[in-house]
Amino acid sequence: MKTLKAITFAVLFATLFSCGEEFLDRPPLAQLTAGTFPESEEDAVLATNAVYNILRSWSFHAGGFPILDIMSDQATKGTNPGDGGSTAPFEDFSFDPFAGHISAWWATVYEGIRRANLVITEVPSIDMDEELRTRLVAEARFLRGYSYSVLVRAFGAVPLVTTVDAPLDLTRTEAETVWSDLIFPDLEYALEHLPEKSEYPDSDLGRVTKGATKALLARLYLFRGEFDMAETMALEVINSGQYQLEPNFGDAFSEDYEGGVESIWEIPALPENNANGGNQYANTWAIRGTPNRGWGFGRPAYSWITMMQANDDPRMDASVIFLGEVLGGVVTEGEGPTPDTTYNEQGAIIEIEVYNQKVWHSGAATQESFGHNKRNIRYADVLLMAAEALNENGKSAEALPYLNEVRERARGGNTTILPDISTTDQTALRQIIADERNFELAFEGLRFWDLIRTEKAVEIMGPLGFVDGKHQLLPIPQSEIDISEGRISQNDNY
Amino acid sequence: MKGTFTLLFFMFLVIGLQAQNVTVSGTITDAETGEGLIGASVLEKGTTNGSITDIDGNYSVSVSGSETILQISYVGYATQEIVVGNQSEINIALSLDISELEEIVVVGYGSVRKSDLTGAVASVKSEDLVKVPNANPVQALQGKVSGLQVLNTSGDPGATPVVRLRGITTLNNNNPIFVVDGVIIEEGNSLDFLNANDIESMEVLKDASATAIFGSRGSNGVIIVTTKRGKSGDVRVNVTAEQSWESVANKVGVMNGREFATYVNDITPGTYNNLDILPNTDWQDKIYTKHAPIRSYSASISGANEKVNYYFGLGYFYQQGVIPKSDLERVTTKINTTYNITKDLALGANLSIALKDKQNAPGVVNTALRAWPINTPYNEDGSFAEVFGSSNALATIAYSNNNTKSLESVGNLFLEYKFLEGFSAKSSLQFTFGLDKNKSFTPAFYVAPLQQNETSDISQKYEDRSFLLWENTLSYSKVFGKHRVNAVVGWTAQQVRSESLTGSGQNLLRDSEEFWYVDAGDRLPENEAIATGASHSTIESYLFRVNYTLLDKYLFTATYRRDGSSKFGVNNRYGVFPSFALGWNLSDESFFPEVDIIDNIKIRASWGIVGNDKIGYLDQYSTISSGRGAVFGVNEQLYPGATFSSGGNPNLRWEETEQYDIGVNFDMFNGRLTTELDYYNKTTDGILVSLEVLGYAGLGAFQTIRYNAAEVENSGFEFNTSWRDDIGDFTYQIGFLGSFVKNEVLSLGDVGADSVLTAGDIGLGQRVSQTVVGRPIGFFYGYKVAGVFQNEAQLDEFPHLSAQKVGDFIYEDTNDDGKLNADDRTVIGNSIPSFIYGFNTSFGYKGISLSLDFQGQMGSEIYNGKQAIQSTLSNFEDRFLGRWSGEGTTNENPRATQGGVNFSPSDYFVEDGSFLRLRTATLGYDLPRKWLSAIGAQSTRIYVRGTNLFTWTKYSGYSPDLGASNPLDGVLDTGVYPISRVYSAGLNVTF
Repeated sequence: MKTLKAITFAVLFATLFSCGEEFLDRPPLAQLTAGTFPESEEDAVLATNAVYNILRSWSFHAGGFPILDIMSDQATKGTNPGDGGSTAPFEDFSFDPFAGHISAWWATVYEGIRRANLVITEVPSIDMDEELRTRLVAEARFLRGYSYSVLVRAFGAVPLVTTVDAPLDLTRTEAETVWSDLIFPDLEYALEHLPEKSEYPDSDLGRVTKGATKALLARLYLFRGEFDMAETMALEVINSGQYQLEPNFGDAFSEDYEGGVESIWEIPALPENNANGGNQYANTWAIRGTPNRGWGFGRPAYSWITMMQANDDPRMDASVIFLGEVLGGVVTEGEGPTPDTTYNEQGAIIEIEVYNQKVWHSGAATQESFGHNKRNIRYADVLLMAAEALNENGKSAEALPYLNEVRERARGGNTTILPDISTTDQTALRQIIADERNFELAFEGLRFWDLIRTEKAVEIMGPLGFVDGKHQLLPIPQSEIDISEGRISQNDNY
Repeated sequence: MKGTFTLLFFMFLVIGLQAQNVTVSGTITDAETGEGLIGASVLEKGTTNGSITDIDGNYSVSVSGSETILQISYVGYATQEIVVGNQSEINIALSLDISELEEIVVVGYGSVRKSDLTGAVASVKSEDLVKVPNANPVQALQGKVSGLQVLNTSGDPGATPVVRLRGITTLNNNNPIFVVDGVIIEEGNSLDFLNANDIESMEVLKDASATAIFGSRGSNGVIIVTTKRGKSGDVRVNVTAEQSWESVANKVGVMNGREFATYVNDITPGTYNNLDILPNTDWQDKIYTKHAPIRSYSASISGANEKVNYYFGLGYFYQQGVIPKSDLERVTTKINTTYNITKDLALGANLSIALKDKQNAPGVVNTALRAWPINTPYNEDGSFAEVFGSSNALATIAYSNNNTKSLESVGNLFLEYKFLEGFSAKSSLQFTFGLDKNKSFTPAFYVAPLQQNETSDISQKYEDRSFLLWENTLSYSKVFGKHRVNAVVGWTAQQVRSESLTGSGQNLLRDSEEFWYVDAGDRLPENEAIATGASHSTIESYLFRVNYTLLDKYLFTATYRRDGSSKFGVNNRYGVFPSFALGWNLSDESFFPEVDIIDNIKIRASWGIVGNDKIGYLDQYSTISSGRGAVFGVNEQLYPGATFSSGGNPNLRWEETEQYDIGVNFDMFNGRLTTELDYYNKTTDGILVSLEVLGYAGLGAFQTIRYNAAEVENSGFEFNTSWRDDIGDFTYQIGFLGSFVKNEVLSLGDVGADSVLTAGDIGLGQRVSQTVVGRPIGFFYGYKVAGVFQNEAQLDEFPHLSAQKVGDFIYEDTNDDGKLNADDRTVIGNSIPSFIYGFNTSFGYKGISLSLDFQGQMGSEIYNGKQAIQSTLSNFEDRFLGRWSGEGTTNENPRATQGGVNFSPSDYFVEDGSFLRLRTATLGYDLPRKWLSAIGAQSTRIYVRGTNLFTWTKYSGYSPDLGASNPLDGVLDTGVYPISRVYSAGLNVTF
């Protein structure tokens, strides 16, 4: 009897006390769960803006530190000798597949690709303004195509992800397939559907444009040696009437001419932390010490400085900050532990403490450099691309005006320097245009690719440690190989 | 209490039913105090005839004859028997029962007689808990429980120690849980809301039989804290006061000014031409305060009668800390009350409230160790000077203002109803409410280019935490002749929630403290920021346990718990956690030879599974967040954006630990020698670990996802033995305990970076720890140093890295492939000790007592990361003085270099972390009772004590008892707030 009572009580107890299943449902707070976004026009804009957001992500630019410039002959590691041990291997090509900069770069570019894939796969089915919808998808496809173009140039064959949730058993897709099946279709879609710079309202300055697409295509066709298409694209940009050179070379990167006439594609940023609109790209390069503007990575190479001095090229002064130089009323003193001059064992100068002026920002606070708008493509670059493509296509004479337009602006009215080029010898002109790119576009992350695509890498970077057949491509991050249990293979000779 | 009332009730029933012949009367008193004991039972042995004592301890009972044996018993006292003979007055003084066997041990959802215990449970009593002058009572468990490690990551006042029970079970959170008077403390191992003086005992539940009733919360062990309650009798008042002084026990040896300059001259000849004019600053002397005070006061009032049982405690604790601006001030209150509304219905409340005010220590330890000794702290004009190597530590202290004020309240309300025979239903609502207010202010200042703050900053953070748990249990306890049964069934529902709000601003109107509010900032939108945080989770559980004892010899325990957790997806929500245990009181068997020296032998065996869900509340979800904006427009403006934030794993399930335990307890020589031995083996499977995912999955750099990936085995042997005896007035006690543990990773699953988990980031991208299958968790990984290259010939002879020169380390070519590269890195150390031990001894003579507690560990290693980081030219530790300076000078230390290849991860930086420490030495004196009667006190004790007086170790850092908060890291010394040596004097008075 007692037992029965006890059992009755126990059963009663169990049924009395139990929660509904909803008690155990605790969804994320202040966040959405993937799969429920984007679902409206407003969401579509948010999702697209978030693809642009990755452009301000520090690691998106070569893993944060300017390793492309440091690998090239234009810059050295920078900062003081004891600092930046993980960046030093890029100075002498001693980096290996464990390099953190490379895995961070790889992962961040793919993060952008995933964000773009969200827009590309989900936005087309949203019921919203059709024109805006098409444009947003085109913006995302531009950014995805650009991201893959970074990957194939840096790594060769890469996993091709076109869905939001990447299959975890992917292997590397041949670079040629990535070009033909993704990069060009994406950029052609963007070319067709994106407005010109002038067609956007003022409030949208900074979104990618038809002109930016053409300029990017010109750059990529040049990289692939497809000079016909490169010529077509570069000339279309020139003839679009959307762009021209800033009269003064220094203004092309300065804070006063952000989004200016020479800017084809740049990344707008505010002098704030990343969450509030900042970009640490310039801070990484900027003056270390006094005034405290940054970390001082990527020091303009002494050889580049002496070369420019030999030419009396005024672009040198506009590109490099020397110790003692007064900018914005502040004397550049640099940093104590950084030697002002470093000599080799024979007593020759190896490097001097200087900084990249192309990222200089005035103002009192360190934070100002976070507001630097990184110029991804300048009109000067397009003019030189047009000249190079024309020259390669046997139209050397037609190339000269574009080349000389750049030189004329560089000369700044001083007729004793940088004379117009008049040679139509294809080989000579090829070298002159390559040199002009070296003078004009230094520290803009372009030199390394230029040396690779013109097959000058061994000649120029060989003395620095570049190994032919190896360093044309960077190593696939070791973590990617480990995690995939070898499904993702390594590049040759790493 | 319960027992007393039942007995009392029973007695009233039986009185007067028997025919009586002889009347005996007398008084039953407490042997120690001489006071009468109310409610003691005086029973004619073998019958139900008897009486109980009145309020003064008097009794009167009629018995059948002179040969009658009277049995006098009282809860908590040793039962006495006496033959009546022809006495008509029998006065008996009862002594407190010190027999271990009758001890009641608190376990989850109830308590059991120690003799009936089948699990591995260790108990630490109040007198041991107040020995260490620390805000956190957990510190007192160090060296007191076999298999338990209490390690310090910091000597910062109020710092939470790392607690490890029976090794490292999982790759995530290894903290055992604390249960205070039945209230589960969700906040890891933070017990600092409790004053140690308010604690009665702490029980450490080690095996699965004891912990499985806590299901998902029990995987790393359970520590049950029972606070003090009123005891029947007069109102008891206790007052304690303690004053301590602490100083850094030892400094780390670094170079002085001359040594440093000489070393730098070796790197770059001619840097310092006149060594005699260089200043010499001992930066450690500059930042550490000597004899920093600790003050602790507490008072309590307690008492009990049939209707009510109460305990009120109030405590004050202040610790200045050896580093300026790191002080902690705390006020604690404790209220425990139970009201017996009727004889069947009781209502109670337990409540702890703690108010804390903590200055968050400026991080200056590494700053001081790295600062150039040839720099001075001040310029001639009195302003802070630029200091190379790190920064000016005194300026860092001066400009750091970071304070957290918190209110923590922990308690429960319960209603308990007894019905039928042996049944009891209890409903308890448990809660923890916490509120933290953090404020950080940095003025605008300029010391040097790399030590400046351009605009003044203020940041204020408010965070509240709530934990609610409703427990409903039904218990049944009954004796049927030879059978004793005790069972509990229950249902519980828990909800945890926390939210925070942070605001910050810049350019405050003034720098003084009245202006440390966001409102005093410039209010420019670009200088203000706001952020929120929120999390919530729930658990619903069913639990069941039965204890069955046959003939007091055969013991059986079974438990079952089913937990549902909101942290797992619908399909994997529920986990089932069973356990079984058997015990056998071998010495009670009739076949067991009657040996005088053996009192009791008990053999125990248990098996069980416990779970773990200590992961983030949304690890199962892939989430989309706003805050991913982009800047557009001619007038640049940030436009909002939203996209993926964290990656989730919808297939997450419970991590499970299966544990076996075999143990034996011996009691010998009339309770003088007690010994407990245990062997255990526990295997944790499906360990919830965050793994780096494929980069191409697009989660972003350094992002991880939680998986059920790894499997880890811990096995070990534990012993705990003590001997106590007296020789006349001289009493003494010796105890020794220890544990051997072996930790091995059995698998790392088939997702993520399965072959190797790399951790142990000491800075500059150096990661020195790895976890792989077949080895302990988080061993050290790097090059093996075989010597120093003495000459060019050696450099040619041995494989070396391209950057290596004569005078650099010879790293071993461990794979013998004739090349030296990253593949030659190998196992260079392990921070999991092979043997952890403690021993203690105490002596007493006529009120004077001396007790010594030692603890130590063997076989552990520490990666001395603070030596291994040379990011910029900074001061060196003194081992580098013995540098290589030419062929044949040394084969131990490398040539003078600023950094570089000799600072790569290698066994040069792995040091032996074994140590033996005199944890506390206490000399006390209990004042004679006759002196006390004048002031009305019952007992008064004065004492002096030293804490961390001596440490025998080879380790060169501040302290070798460092813990790893992340087990994958191993034990890294990256320059922590040092552990101090403390001298105390105290007074304890009971009225």
